[in-house]
Amino acid sequence: MFPTPIQKRSPAAQIAYQSMLPLALLLWLLPLLAVMAFSARPDADFTTGNYWGWPSSFEGVANYTLVFTSEMPRYLLNSFLITIPTVIGTIALSCMTGFALGIYRFRGNILIFFMFIAGNFVPFQILMVPVRDLTIDLNLYDTRAGLILFHIAFQTGFCTLFMRNFIRQLPFPLIEAARVEGVAEWRIFVYVVLPLMKPAIAALSVLVFTFIWNDYFWAIVLTQGPDTQPVTAGITSFNSQFRAAYHLMSAGSIVAALPPVAMFFLMQRHFIAGLTLGAVK
Amino acid sequence: MRSILTALAATTILSGAALAEAHGPDLTGTLRIVSDMSNPAPRAVMEDLAERFEEMHPDLDVELQVIDREAWKTQIRNTLSANPPDVVNWYAANRMMPYVNAALFEDVSDVWEEIEGLDSVKGALTIDGAQYGVPYTYYQWGVYYRQDIFEELGLEEPETWEQEIANCQVILDSGRKCYTIGTKFLWTAGGWFDYLNMRTNGFDFHMALARGEIPWTDDRVRQTFANWRELIDMGAYIDNHQNYSWQEALPFMVNGEATSYLMGNFAVAPMRDAGLTDDQIDFYQFPAIGEDIPMAEDAPTDTFHIPAGAENKEAAREFLKFVVSADVQTDINRGDALGQLPVNAQSEVDEDKFLEQGFAMLSQNSPGGVAQFFDRDFPAEMAALGMEGLQEFMVYPDNLEDILQRLEQARQRIYAN
Repeated sequence: MFPTPIQKRSPAAQIAYQSMLPLALLLWLLPLLAVMAFSARPDADFTTGNYWGWPSSFEGVANYTLVFTSEMPRYLLNSFLITIPTVIGTIALSCMTGFALGIYRFRGNILIFFMFIAGNFVPFQILMVPVRDLTIDLNLYDTRAGLILFHIAFQTGFCTLFMRNFIRQLPFPLIEAARVEGVAEWRIFVYVVLPLMKPAIAALSVLVFTFIWNDYFWAIVLTQGPDTQPVTAGITSFNSQFRAAYHLMSAGSIVAALPPVAMFFLMQRHFIAGLTLGAVK
Repeated sequence: MRSILTALAATTILSGAALAEAHGPDLTGTLRIVSDMSNPAPRAVMEDLAERFEEMHPDLDVELQVIDREAWKTQIRNTLSANPPDVVNWYAANRMMPYVNAALFEDVSDVWEEIEGLDSVKGALTIDGAQYGVPYTYYQWGVYYRQDIFEELGLEEPETWEQEIANCQVILDSGRKCYTIGTKFLWTAGGWFDYLNMRTNGFDFHMALARGEIPWTDDRVRQTFANWRELIDMGAYIDNHQNYSWQEALPFMVNGEATSYLMGNFAVAPMRDAGLTDDQIDFYQFPAIGEDIPMAEDAPTDTFHIPAGAENKEAAREFLKFVVSADVQTDINRGDALGQLPVNAQSEVDEDKFLEQGFAMLSQNSPGGVAQFFDRDFPAEMAALGMEGLQEFMVYPDNLEDILQRLEQARQRIYAN
């Protein structure tokens, strides 16, 4: 049933485990290590076929300098300007919808809840053409606002599911006690429920942040060019007409990956809490 | 929008000549340009062009947006229909056909009446007798080869197919491959087919095939493939070429494992970056195959167009005339700028071994005509299927009959509409 902890296995198994683990780890990390190594290579290495050998020179500083003097800072800024409002908007909305659906018993509650969930089952790719037409009609095409609004709308479904279930698990007597005291409903939300939701809010923020930061699909559908596009879509701008700039794309990818990675390490506790929240009663 | 209004008082290099030109009508308002010249050097060219044009027309505000070249290939449909600017970049020949047919490109035949020196490329911008854009640059294709290895083996630049084959045999005997190629993205095989077919059957036949007027199962097409097969059966191409991009196939030539590369002039820059000197690389025109067949070349042309929904068409027309003028053409195609060939016959070409040879070849030794390239001359769907077939042929030459039947079926379907 349960795997025996490795400490309790035979010495041979332990040694095999200890020797295989670094190997598996290396294999697992190889693509990432390659990207890191590529980001320090000169362009010429890719033309001479020197992909895996010793770099002919170390151009890490030059490559990263080029990344930061190109359009990348602008794309990064766009990413923040898109991701942060989306996180705030989604969390704010889903706290309220979660509260309404979790606390009040009214006709159609389940129906509305199902509609939020059903939205998650729609493969978002099929929305591409209607959403693009919609943003054009609303004059939101190729604007950050258009992308933010769409992300909020689409993420709120999942977040509502998450929040509603979390609120359901809060001790209901707390709310009843407040009602007995004659506290207004919005005050109950702000002063009783919201403070209790902090772990859920933290966990969801981290999740939504990484979702939105890593979004590539909508970034290329709804936005064009360095004025609006986030960094995921912007990395390819290092490619020139005929040549792929592997060294710059590698350096750019690493820079682009830093914020979510930093976010993960800073908020690791919440991230894991978010994934397992509600997994065990 | 990237407004370049704030740009510093500009270009001292050529502003003298540019300012001396007639300014034409007083242009006002905003000229919105969406360009796909996203490499560092072409980008600088485009920014410089916008800046100079703005300087010539003080009342005009030029807004330039540069979009990643690959991304633009999918964005253009969106942009032309949803949010049309005044000037956009695109490509000549069949590549512009869908937008002309959808009435998204403006007819600019009136602009062509006022410009000179572009006769050689006019055909590529003409559909049903009207012109829908202007070219601003093109580049030659040809066989780039390792001069040092040719000298070591005592080989000369071949002029006939027999010499080409004989050279290749010597190269193979020395333990090298004759040609490097990376067919992962298919189009490189299209280059080989273009040349083999234009040399075997001539330019007019090749274009008729592109227009769907000749069956793929025609014996003349088979002859082209038979010629190709000679090289394939010799083992002239590097192994596993279907796994490489054109760029990933470069190391074979740089490291001397293969001696030649049928490619566009853009291959020169990375070879030089990789440490090859101009004494080590050289260029020759693809040799003649059939007798009395005039030489014809591939020279893909990049263009400017006015979207039909543009707001400032007057300024856009002036911009098109500005871009194709001989001075501007000389300037933007310099080695340190686009590094390609000017389209205006009155322009000068920069002092560069490859540009000079290319300009001479295209202007003097291409009497048959100038093709755009397989995936620009054939309609998109036919080109995609065709290039798949070409790649398959290079790997499994025995499948030829099957491939030709498939392409013929596709031809009957695609050109029927």
